[in-house]
Amino acid sequence: MADSDQISADANLPGPGGPRTVPFLQGSLFGEADALGYGGAYVYDEMVTGQGKLRPHWQTFMGTLGPLDPDLMSDRWEEARRLLHQNGVTYNIYADPMGMERPWPLDMMPLLLPSHEWKALESGLIQRATLLNAVLADLYGRQTLIREGRLPPAVIHADPGFRRAVHGIRVPGDIHLHSYAVDLARSPDGRWWVLSDRTQAPSGSGYALENRAVMSKVLPDSFRHCQVERLAPFFETFKETLLSLSPRKDRPRVVLLTPGPYNETYFEHVYLARYLGLTLVEGADLTVRDRQVYLKTLSGLEQVDVILRRLDADFADPLEMRADSSLGVAGLVEAVRAGSVVVANALGSGLLESMALKSALPTLCRHLLGEELKLPGVAVWWCGNDAERAYALDSLESLVVKPAFPARPFEPIFGSDLSKAERAELVEKIRQRPWNYVAQERLALSTAPVWHEGKLQPRPLVLRVFLCSTPDGGYSVMPGGLTRVSTESGKLVVSMQRGGGSKDTWILSGRRHETPPARTRLSPPADPVAEPIKPVTTDLPSRVADGLFWLGRYAERAESAVRLLRAAHTRLTDANFPGAGAQMRPLLSLMAGLGLVPKDFSDVTETGTGRGLQNALNASVFDADHPYSLRTQIVRLHRTAYSVRDRLSLDTWRVVSAIERQSQGPSSHTGSQTAGTPGQPGQPPRARIDAASMLLRLDDIMISLAALSGHQQESMTRGSGWRFLDIGRRIERALHMIAVMRGVNVADLTRYDANTQEASLAILLELGESVMTYRSRYLTTVRRDGVLQLLLADESNPRALAFQLAALHGHLTALPGGSMPRNDDPTASAAGIVRTARDLLRDPAALGSNAALHSTLDTLAASLPDVSNLLAHAYFSHAFARSA
Amino acid sequence: MLSHDLPETSAPPAGAATMRYRVRHTTRYEYGEDVPVAHHLLHLTARPHPLQRVRRSQLTITPATALRADHTDYFGNALIYVAVQEPHSSFEITAESEVEVFAAPRRDPSATPPWEAVRESLRGLTGPDDGADIVQYAFDSALVTVSPDLADYARPSFTPGRPVAEASIDLIRRVHRDFAFDPSATTVATPLSVVMRQRRGVCQDFAQVVIGCLRAQGLPARYVSGYLRTLPPPGKPRLVGADVSHAWASVWCGGGTGWLDLCPTNDRPTDQDFITIAWGRDYADVSPVRGVLMGGAGHALTVSVDVEPLEQAAE
Repeated sequence: MADSDQISADANLPGPGGPRTVPFLQGSLFGEADALGYGGAYVYDEMVTGQGKLRPHWQTFMGTLGPLDPDLMSDRWEEARRLLHQNGVTYNIYADPMGMERPWPLDMMPLLLPSHEWKALESGLIQRATLLNAVLADLYGRQTLIREGRLPPAVIHADPGFRRAVHGIRVPGDIHLHSYAVDLARSPDGRWWVLSDRTQAPSGSGYALENRAVMSKVLPDSFRHCQVERLAPFFETFKETLLSLSPRKDRPRVVLLTPGPYNETYFEHVYLARYLGLTLVEGADLTVRDRQVYLKTLSGLEQVDVILRRLDADFADPLEMRADSSLGVAGLVEAVRAGSVVVANALGSGLLESMALKSALPTLCRHLLGEELKLPGVAVWWCGNDAERAYALDSLESLVVKPAFPARPFEPIFGSDLSKAERAELVEKIRQRPWNYVAQERLALSTAPVWHEGKLQPRPLVLRVFLCSTPDGGYSVMPGGLTRVSTESGKLVVSMQRGGGSKDTWILSGRRHETPPARTRLSPPADPVAEPIKPVTTDLPSRVADGLFWLGRYAERAESAVRLLRAAHTRLTDANFPGAGAQMRPLLSLMAGLGLVPKDFSDVTETGTGRGLQNALNASVFDADHPYSLRTQIVRLHRTAYSVRDRLSLDTWRVVSAIERQSQGPSSHTGSQTAGTPGQPGQPPRARIDAASMLLRLDDIMISLAALSGHQQESMTRGSGWRFLDIGRRIERALHMIAVMRGVNVADLTRYDANTQEASLAILLELGESVMTYRSRYLTTVRRDGVLQLLLADESNPRALAFQLAALHGHLTALPGGSMPRNDDPTASAAGIVRTARDLLRDPAALGSNAALHSTLDTLAASLPDVSNLLAHAYFSHAFARSA
Repeated sequence: MLSHDLPETSAPPAGAATMRYRVRHTTRYEYGEDVPVAHHLLHLTARPHPLQRVRRSQLTITPATALRADHTDYFGNALIYVAVQEPHSSFEITAESEVEVFAAPRRDPSATPPWEAVRESLRGLTGPDDGADIVQYAFDSALVTVSPDLADYARPSFTPGRPVAEASIDLIRRVHRDFAFDPSATTVATPLSVVMRQRRGVCQDFAQVVIGCLRAQGLPARYVSGYLRTLPPPGKPRLVGADVSHAWASVWCGGGTGWLDLCPTNDRPTDQDFITIAWGRDYADVSPVRGVLMGGAGHALTVSVDVEPLEQAAE
């Protein structure tokens, strides 16, 4: 749902005769509405009639739902919420720093529509799609509609959405509109009306799929008994259509082009790409060579044939569209012109989201299709037309004024809300630039029941339905839709951006035993609930390799941070911890060196030194503004994981979500919040977490991080993706080990007293998870040579530096060569660095004297970061486009 | 220059003096480091129209291996797509054309219709071909959005009933008087609102100010890019390469008169000193070289334009 994607319609318009205070007639035959405690409607209600009777197509559903027991409903709601959360169903809200990944709101009551009603809608929708496509084909082609005076030229020329750059480009089968959505509303007389058309890059079908997956689990009996039409065949058709568009018939490659993780509906892009088996790409993953589009993969450039576009055309090509777009692909329009790639929807299709030509549709339908328009649109008067503007200005009181063009947005203005002065101001604005305005009839929305505060309550709704073109050039309607409801009964605006809710939409087939249509299919109809179809391609875009690499690094960095923090918190909390006092000093000095705590605390001598230290340690865990805190690392981990989400299993994603939640500070958990200290009135209440809870929390995070690592090792196929993730981990662990060694001054340790030496070595073993190994291997007091051997040189210890180097070497020699010439191959150079480091560690002298140790650690610290840089150069640094 | 959008094949006005030029326009990019891939769009080919004949036109691109595809844009200009697909540290395009510019018949600006009548006549232009083409120049475009500023500035020139050409010529006279020519004041990215505020700029800015003022009055106005022959100072040879890309505005004066090209930078209607390359709604539609580079750290741009008058064409 795009930015402009809000629907304003009236929820509280008086019906004929004005608002009725008695919602349902008393003593109705069954008294269903009364029995349900459901009322308040004076518009069309989807569930009950004006007489308070349940509509026939709701009987089965309400029967299977059973008594509306608040506890039961609440359990179901919790279950749904859990499923949605686990599946990571989210949407982003623009212009809200906290708006990333809002949980998706789903109501427990589906919207039900009987099959006969749906059939009528379906035929109207197909006609409308056909009509809009014909209008697009004309406006981007011969423009006879304008030349013959059927549409005024201003309809296209005043609209920034008319993309001149793509005018005249022929598209296969003259189909510009492959994916189309319509927002429908039902008036008090029960008729459906079109509120708006989505022709740019319609969103919502993925959310509808996810809603279905959840509802069929939460209400399995109802779902089964109601004979609900399946959604999967629609998506199969869509996939077939996309494949059929390919200019190359042999193994065509279809990609889904997303603006990226910050887009409002990124979740859906990931979900649909998986479900349809398409490669999810961002603009930077694609490049144009020889007027063809290629996907940049680790193994080179792979031709792309069809692009399912979720990026607005404006941003699609910085060469021919908006030059400031960093989301697009330079040269894309030229490739489309050359006919080597097909973009769906065609670039420019957003033109038909314009409200300016809605009033012309009935005439155009007669002219282009020779039919009457079946599905009426809510009446719109375009101010760019003199007669329409005259009416609009005369009737402003009863109309809502809206932008004519999506590219010139403003908030809808309700004429009736305006003061005399405001009205005059608006009229003047309209006179100045009339073509930018339309006036729309206000429509009283129908209501459907939502489960709210322990009972069913009517809420206004808008139904979004989805169509796709078919391989033979027709259109197919998804039997279902995304129903959106406003949060309050009287609210005028239905919008996910404004915090409304959603519902699953059930089309009741009315068939006992459904036989699939006799159409050939690529695969047997899949249950939408089932796991998404696996991607047909294993191409790893360079961007994704980069993301996985950093995911590995951040995950490992977070683990290292937890180990350090846990070591410090344990000693701080438990004065009985053996050697706690002595070990605190090197530990804090190490943490200060890594930026976790300020340097001032590194000279404390005892445990429990003051509140200041406690606060500093707390900040090093939870403070998101702290540059090196655990929270900061985990936020990065989460962001990075989000950007490569389509490559992570659902379980992996769940773990990442859990880690993100666990690392949130105590202030976000109201339960553990403590009141502000009395006597400090100026201070806001500061959330604090006690030491024991802190340790538990760190343990939880460690367990989750271990689960993440476990998924990585046990569930990822050993492709390039896994390799980059593991390379990231290995490099991070190697660098951390060197930093820790240097942080406790291991090379100069012999200069300290015996207590400090012992304390430092104990900490090294603890951070290196090698205490047990050391004991079993050496059976003596802790000595530096043994510790160094175990943590640096031992290739069999998975925590040792040598182990990381061995693993890295294996990865580097297995990677595809990259795009560089052999004599200057950065991968080979990186492998060379790693080999030298391994050789160094194999030399017993390297870890011998203080001087040798200094030299070894310095050499490693200087050379190993280059491995990361060289890899970035070889695989990730596909320099981003810039304008010249 | 009064230019009618007559078919290109129409004969030059009888008895008119004709100027011939050879135009050479070189654009050179030097990159800080190798650029692996670059895409460019060029509007560099002189556009034929009834008062301008293009006798020859040629484009030389270096590296020579660059891929080239020729198109015509929505406004009827030649548009050339160029892709350089191998690492390169410089990119150079030289557009050379030989054009003839004919003298326009003299018309009396006071004989053109009142500007309000021209504005009203647009309503009738729903019909045949050219209607939509003309109307499109009346609306906001990427770089020229009508604002109260522009409307207020335009108003004194557009007194009620004033002939459209006369009012427009008055407008460019005022722009020429009120705005200082100052190449340091603006870049191609400077918004019109800033130009209006600081009253300084270059020919592109002045052209867009005039276009914005005309559109504020409801009149179609287009942006014309091209070259201006720079006359040498008396007794001195003309300097090669001293000339630059030029731009001016064109206003729709109604069906009887057509488009009137006006140069606010020099405060005069265009004449045989002006060579037309392309027109569109504003600079963004017709910028001579537009490009997107992959990689490459920084670039230096040098542009030279050489407008060399040839001997008078034989009549």
